[in-house]
Amino acid sequence: MQTSSWVPLFPEQASTFAWQVDALYAYLIVISIAFTIPIVAAIFFFAIKYREKEKFATPEEMHGSIVLETVWSIIPFVISMTIFLGGAIVYYNQFRVPDDSMDVYVVGKQWMWKLQHGTGQREINELHVPVGRNVKLTMTTEDTLHDFSIPAFRTKADVVPGRYTYIWFNATKPGKYHLFCAEYCGLNHSGMGGYVYVMEQRDFDNWLSGTESGQTPVEAGKDLFENKLGCASCHAGGADQRGAKLEGIFNKDVKLVGGQSVVADEAYIRNSILNPSSQVVEGFQPIMPTFKGQVTEEQLVSLVAYIKSLSGVTGTTTSSAATPAAANTSTHSNTAGNANTPASSNK
Amino acid sequence: MQNVDAIGSGISEQPKLNYLTNGFTLKSWLLTKDHKRIAIMYLITVSLFFMAGGIYASVIRLELLTPASDLVQTATYNKVFTQHGILMIFFFLIPSIPAVLGNFLLPIMIGAKDLALPRINLLSLYIYWIGGALTIYALMQGGVDTGWTFYTPYSTTFSNTYVMAVGLGIFINGFSSILTGLNFIVTVHTMRAPGMTWFRLPLFVWAQYATSLVMILGTPVIAITVLLLAIERTVKVGIFDPSIGGDPILFQHMFWFYSHPAVYIMVLPGMGVVSELISNFSRKKIFGYEFIAFSSIAIAVFGFLVWGHHMFVSGQSIYAGLVFSFLTMVVAVPSAIKMFNWAATLYKGSISFDTPMLYGLGFMGLFLIGGLTGLFLGAIGLTVHLTDTYFVVAHFHYVMVGGQVIAYLGGIHYWWPKMTGKMYSEFWGKISAMLVFVGFNLTFGPQFILGYLGMPRRYASYPEELQVLNIFSTAGASVLGVGMLMPVIYLLHSLVWGKPAGDNPWMLPGLEWRTSSPPPTENFEKMPVVTWEAYEFGEESGLDLEGARNRVRPSTVA
Amino acid sequence: MSSHSDNNEEFHYHAPGLQHQFEDMKQQEESVSIGMWMFLVQEIMFFGGLFTAYLVFRSRYPMAFAAGSNHLNAFWGGLNTLVLIVSSLTMALTVYYAQKGNRNMQVILIVLTMFFGSVFLGVKAIEYTDKYNHGLVPVSGWNKRIKEEAGDHHEAAKPCWDVDHNAPVVEHPNPHGEFQWTDCSLVKLAQDHNYLTDAERVGYFNQGTGQIDANKFRDKVRIFYFIYFVMTGLHALHMIIGLGIMTWLLILAWKNTFSADYYMPVEMSGLYWHFVDIVWIFLFPLLYLLGRHFLH
Repeated sequence: MQTSSWVPLFPEQASTFAWQVDALYAYLIVISIAFTIPIVAAIFFFAIKYREKEKFATPEEMHGSIVLETVWSIIPFVISMTIFLGGAIVYYNQFRVPDDSMDVYVVGKQWMWKLQHGTGQREINELHVPVGRNVKLTMTTEDTLHDFSIPAFRTKADVVPGRYTYIWFNATKPGKYHLFCAEYCGLNHSGMGGYVYVMEQRDFDNWLSGTESGQTPVEAGKDLFENKLGCASCHAGGADQRGAKLEGIFNKDVKLVGGQSVVADEAYIRNSILNPSSQVVEGFQPIMPTFKGQVTEEQLVSLVAYIKSLSGVTGTTTSSAATPAAANTSTHSNTAGNANTPASSNK
Repeated sequence: MQNVDAIGSGISEQPKLNYLTNGFTLKSWLLTKDHKRIAIMYLITVSLFFMAGGIYASVIRLELLTPASDLVQTATYNKVFTQHGILMIFFFLIPSIPAVLGNFLLPIMIGAKDLALPRINLLSLYIYWIGGALTIYALMQGGVDTGWTFYTPYSTTFSNTYVMAVGLGIFINGFSSILTGLNFIVTVHTMRAPGMTWFRLPLFVWAQYATSLVMILGTPVIAITVLLLAIERTVKVGIFDPSIGGDPILFQHMFWFYSHPAVYIMVLPGMGVVSELISNFSRKKIFGYEFIAFSSIAIAVFGFLVWGHHMFVSGQSIYAGLVFSFLTMVVAVPSAIKMFNWAATLYKGSISFDTPMLYGLGFMGLFLIGGLTGLFLGAIGLTVHLTDTYFVVAHFHYVMVGGQVIAYLGGIHYWWPKMTGKMYSEFWGKISAMLVFVGFNLTFGPQFILGYLGMPRRYASYPEELQVLNIFSTAGASVLGVGMLMPVIYLLHSLVWGKPAGDNPWMLPGLEWRTSSPPPTENFEKMPVVTWEAYEFGEESGLDLEGARNRVRPSTVA
Repeated sequence: MSSHSDNNEEFHYHAPGLQHQFEDMKQQEESVSIGMWMFLVQEIMFFGGLFTAYLVFRSRYPMAFAAGSNHLNAFWGGLNTLVLIVSSLTMALTVYYAQKGNRNMQVILIVLTMFFGSVFLGVKAIEYTDKYNHGLVPVSGWNKRIKEEAGDHHEAAKPCWDVDHNAPVVEHPNPHGEFQWTDCSLVKLAQDHNYLTDAERVGYFNQGTGQIDANKFRDKVRIFYFIYFVMTGLHALHMIIGLGIMTWLLILAWKNTFSADYYMPVEMSGLYWHFVDIVWIFLFPLLYLLGRHFLH
């Protein structure tokens, strides 16, 4: 939430109906104050004015008043009905999906979000959208319940196994907005987040056509590992993590399920990303998803470079078997002594 | 000997035997049929569970001082918040006022010798112990990490923790609740003293009656839900797993069908206590007695119709959401009625600010905020943004802690002299009441803001920009913790060194004040015949106010 | 109304069985009666959760429920219904004779009630065994394991709706004791006549090919059997508890405890017994009598 004050109060309003939600909130705050002040004032005032003058004094009897009871039943009821109506109207706007929406498909899984644009682009834990377009998210989950929540857009919905749920929004302001998982889903529930990037149409088109940013392979690999591809959720989770340890394994022997041993060289790392169930480390379950089709060759190079750096290895690739014939493979020189600490166990 | 027709001397000879001195063996306690002894045993157990839950709460707040998950591992944190919820809700909040104060006072307030079914009462206590023991055992073996709500399919298929054992503990514990409720309903129907008509009953009794209705109708549903959950987890077949045709949302419907009324099980008795406190410490009959009585029943009934407001973003249909939102607005109205009636009771009263009254007034302020924020969460368009965030956490802590726990503490302080015969230090009582009030607001106030900003619930780590608010919250929690620990000390201290309280230290007309402190085992030396209305203060009630004025009240500084 | 701690001299007559917290028998009877009714109300809510689950799944997958229900033996179910109704009669008569203080008749009738209750449980055992033998217990491994014989010849796989209902029943191999269901003819019938529900249109069919998916249909039938076992199992548990209560009652009746002045325990036990009976009256048609018009 980009807010400027030291103690922020509101997330940014970044969708077409966000102002409505905030307006309803403001209305409710006004009503709350309108009820709280008189009652609290009355309590204070009565407490002071009618404090006991004499121990065990008996005040005069007072009989109830049907008039008062009726008044203070009807008025709260009417007010609560206005609140209901306000809520219903906003809700209608939040969930009546416009017809001309751009489609994005979302699949939640422990503990990452996989997204795919209607045009085929895939993303992990990130969503790039153009400003001013209606976007409809069709969502489900592969395992437990999750919840796709974008506070700046003021919308969220649970994702339920076995069916689809939907939200829509129209982003009004370019920027980077938090995306959270908002339904408890186990170990890395707090880490299952990311960002929604709202871009001007031109920038969005550029992004769609796939430009790279100017990072070193290790930096790019670290970004992929920790943020974009979500590897950290299983491979940097601490003692109980579900994925094999990657620190210090490069070029060492690794024992696999089934008894055989292999050397964890670049080829092994690359194969583990593209075809993980073929070489599972002993003691681990074959649950790693394949990233075939989701990583480019460049990205694979970056990932391999990063994972090598976890064993303190910097510098160029050594094994000739590592890099397949790809159009723009190049050797990069890493900054020496680049102490990349393994990703922390949570995000 | 205590003469019920001319009470009000305030201090009398202690009868030879009271319920505490009537037998000192372990057997006389563990096999007792005396509702008062059962209440005391509940008091001890409930306090222990409260402290355990409080320790979990401290871990949560300490962890959340920093944005990273660095105090405890995330897996541990997930268990900590789950177990905080389970212990607090099922083993502290739900039993607290009914099983402690209700058990002790209900028979006395209606002029009976005991509850209608004393052995069922004892059974209820045993079941509570067994369920609690099983749950504690499971927690020590490794605990659960599903959240107290046990949502499927995480709890049936993915969690590697002791779901079944804890589920069984909760299942067993539910029967304790059911039997207590059953007992109260029967007692109020059949055991009232002659002359004690329904509309002469103290409002605490009305509140207990309404609560008992909810206990009986609601608890079996969570029982069957938890049973189905346990079965599905063990045999891997059931009705909640979508991969074999089941429906995870059905679990949510069944779970919340009980768990929403459960919050009324928790708060209605608190409201009953507050009615007593406000009325008695203003020395004035509660304004709108019938309205408060009927609004308790209305809350109990309507409370069964709103469970879907916990599921607005769950994937339930839009139309269901609208219906539940509407009904949620309706159920808010009876609580508003009570709030106005309590305030009107203060008007032209004669208000004294003893510790119980401070808690009563505190309840009014905090429950007001808690209840109003419930409206925020019932407004369906707004709640889409707020649900599953810290706004919800703040809301329910305002009503549960700011409401129920404060009322419970108020009730304990109010009836402590009756239960124990001793008076605690009024000075320390006031200090801790104020610390609790301030600490509580500091802890949970910032969480409303955190929620609106979007911080989700059950997060071990959070974005850095939210740290300041979390620090405020933890700071408040330390004050709150101190405020809550203090009563443990001075109340226990009073057991040994407190001044004898006398039968009627507050000089009040209720039936419980017309017997000795502590009461004898049969509650009254001579069973009362009620000829006066509820909350009749003044000389017609038979109170010797003048005489009392001439004595120093026992509640002086320790 | 004086307390017993009075060292007053007056002798108070106590009706036999009067508990100390009550003033008189009438108060005790009233209390016990309200107590038992409240207990039964909560039992209704307890079973209610299961009826809700039944309601939800039957309205979604009526054909699966019809198929599963068809396979239950309505004869045994009907017999059990009759048995329970008669046992309720004997129970009611027990109350009558308790009020009359007729010890011998009470004992005979309690024994008869217990006899009928046991018959009920015996029939349930027969039914459950039949389910075990035919691979209808919804839990993997809890069915009879039938090894595949070397000589078994496998026919060409037929579509699951192509079932000859008049052919003799053949035991299918079931090496792991799994839940088995191969007959999806009702789905075809419903599809042909166009009365599948929305959920069924998705739930029984392979999304890719649009064909009826035997495994998916089997899963829904398994839900029916899961609910069947949980509901009848819970009911049977209550019946067993009922037999326990009857045993206790038998002992008391044998000792001639009951009379016109004191018979509430019999009446309260009767309430419980009738409740268990009524739950069965609901279970029987909902579980056993669905969909019979389709195939018979």
